[in-house]
Amino acid sequence: MSTLVIAPLLVALVTAILTLLVRPSDLLQRTVSLLGGVAYLGAVAVLFEAVVLPLGSESDILVYQVSDWAAPFGITLVADGLSVFMLALAGLVSLVALVYSIASISAFGQRLSYHPLYHFMMVGVTGSFLTGDIFNLFVWFEVMLMSSYILVLFYSGREHTRAALNYVVLNLIGSAVMLVAIGGLYSTTGTLNMADLARRLADPAAYNIALLPVLGLSAVLFSVFALKAGLAPFQFWVPAAYRAAPAPVTAMLAGVVKKVGVYAIIRLYFTIFAAASLDLSFLGISGDSVLGFFGPVMFAMAAVSIVFGGLGAVGRDDVDGILAYSSISQVGFIVLPLAVAATAPSEAVTVLGVTAAIVYAFNHGLAKSLLFLASGTIQDVVGSDRLSDLGGLANRAPVLAAAFFLGALTLIGVPPISGFFGKFLVFQAAAEALAAGATGSALALAVALAGAILTIAYYTRAWNQVFWGRTTEMVDATLPARWTLGSATPPMADGGDDGLERLELTTQVTAAVVLALAAVGFGIGFEAVFEAANAAAHAALDTNAYVEAVLHGPGVGMEAGAGTGGGH
Amino acid sequence: MTQVFLAGVLGVLFSVGTYLVLRRDVVRVVWGITIISQSANVYLVTMGGFDGLGPILSGHGGGGPPPTDPIVQALVLTAIVIGFGTTALALVLTYRVYEEHGTIDMYELGGNR
Repeated sequence: MSTLVIAPLLVALVTAILTLLVRPSDLLQRTVSLLGGVAYLGAVAVLFEAVVLPLGSESDILVYQVSDWAAPFGITLVADGLSVFMLALAGLVSLVALVYSIASISAFGQRLSYHPLYHFMMVGVTGSFLTGDIFNLFVWFEVMLMSSYILVLFYSGREHTRAALNYVVLNLIGSAVMLVAIGGLYSTTGTLNMADLARRLADPAAYNIALLPVLGLSAVLFSVFALKAGLAPFQFWVPAAYRAAPAPVTAMLAGVVKKVGVYAIIRLYFTIFAAASLDLSFLGISGDSVLGFFGPVMFAMAAVSIVFGGLGAVGRDDVDGILAYSSISQVGFIVLPLAVAATAPSEAVTVLGVTAAIVYAFNHGLAKSLLFLASGTIQDVVGSDRLSDLGGLANRAPVLAAAFFLGALTLIGVPPISGFFGKFLVFQAAAEALAAGATGSALALAVALAGAILTIAYYTRAWNQVFWGRTTEMVDATLPARWTLGSATPPMADGGDDGLERLELTTQVTAAVVLALAAVGFGIGFEAVFEAANAAAHAALDTNAYVEAVLHGPGVGMEAGAGTGGGH
Repeated sequence: MTQVFLAGVLGVLFSVGTYLVLRRDVVRVVWGITIISQSANVYLVTMGGFDGLGPILSGHGGGGPPPTDPIVQALVLTAIVIGFGTTALALVLTYRVYEEHGTIDMYELGGNR
């Protein structure tokens, strides 16, 4: 049973290696890559079934000790409600983005390195979601980042090299800082295993741990996760990198890779560091746990992200720019309920806050990937994503417009699309915290409201400029007639004949439509999403169960069997 | 004593790295990152302490003082290998930036000529 935990990781790794081996044949490589994506989703589904289902019951925690080295000495992989929820999002979005890639990346690019890089990035993402060891988390981050560096740099033109330079330099510094924080944590607590860390932090006297340095080091670590998630004040790399990367890669970066930062924040701060009870009474911050310190910090960062990203998006005049700034703002919306949860006066509100964050992350993952894919198709067809070049696309490309519309509605939060419930839960968490006596939550409510209004403003603006209004010359030249999925191929933007064919553009639009339908479907069947997210939140907050499962659970040293040599 | 000395060295290394990262020349920025990540490695080794014997030799034949913590050294090996890859990538990227823009001056890359 516990061997299932490593399945998604192995599937992604094997796929990445196979796509390297079959490079001589384009068709074979694409087939292998696609099958790998499907198998990944399948592996995630099986794991999800084993951990979370049936919905409403207590979620299990599956633990796999790599090479059968018992925790805390070996590397531990842990699949609990939170991990598998994020994996499910990754599996879904990555498969759609992969299909889109095959239809949009040039044949040369795909042959060169695209598929192996894509799957190696998935290896890193999967490892980050599953690992139960902080140094191992660093390694998976690096696996993910190395691939993402090259994917951001993929087109390697003027803007791309410059954006990639920013992205690489910032993340390399982030990696060094992460290493310093991990080294410091190891030196103060004497362990790298997350569960062991939580156990020791819960009883610092027995292990001779000074908690204040741990707090400082966890704050250093927090800055790294905030960098990965693109939270203010670490958001500067986001717009340039998102513009530079190919559309499906941007969809992955915004939809999945960012969520790794969010996941790490939830996992480490709510599951692990929350175990430490610390009497804080400096700088006007007070609380009885480490979370009492991080609550205000998260709130400040989330508030600045929401406002800065929202204002930035309102002021942009290109679709990708609006989406990128929107992405900064939306990550603020994910972290805001976490801040409420961290300072919440009651257990119920904490659970609600974390649930809201997880649901919001899920919706954002679906909707933002969809919007980036739609924007990529607009660029492929019309040849520009500047608002001044676009107009009247709702008439000329109605299917694409409908998909974009649903994505925007998801982020704005209109029922019955799943985005509505995400936003509703954020407000509900803040309101309940306020009712329970956390006066600071009034501020959170105000920020969320302002952010929601900004979201409506910039998506309305994008919609009006791109899809309504007068048809511009550029649109007329490239899309002279109405283009639906059934009708003839739209002419290419650059007039060339080597690139896009009808099937490819249809596939691109279909990928966006699938995500749009998923957003609607999860909205109508929101009960299931909520149950799963609620299970994830409970798993994230139940430190004892996590520690128990990793350090004393069944399968430790028994069932792991023939392990695969992972490691350093 | 070693620890105090290394703390000083680390301080110098981190400040040199930070200084270089803030330069306008992209190559110096890459050197700066390399120095910072190497200082992080030195920091990791320092965190393991220097009290014991070499981990491999001690314990053979029994007795003797306990070994130095070998975990940090395993960690550093991993970090060094990752550092190789990222440094190579950063240097290649620098060259590509030069090819595309004809300059490696950060200020000019930012659009200011």
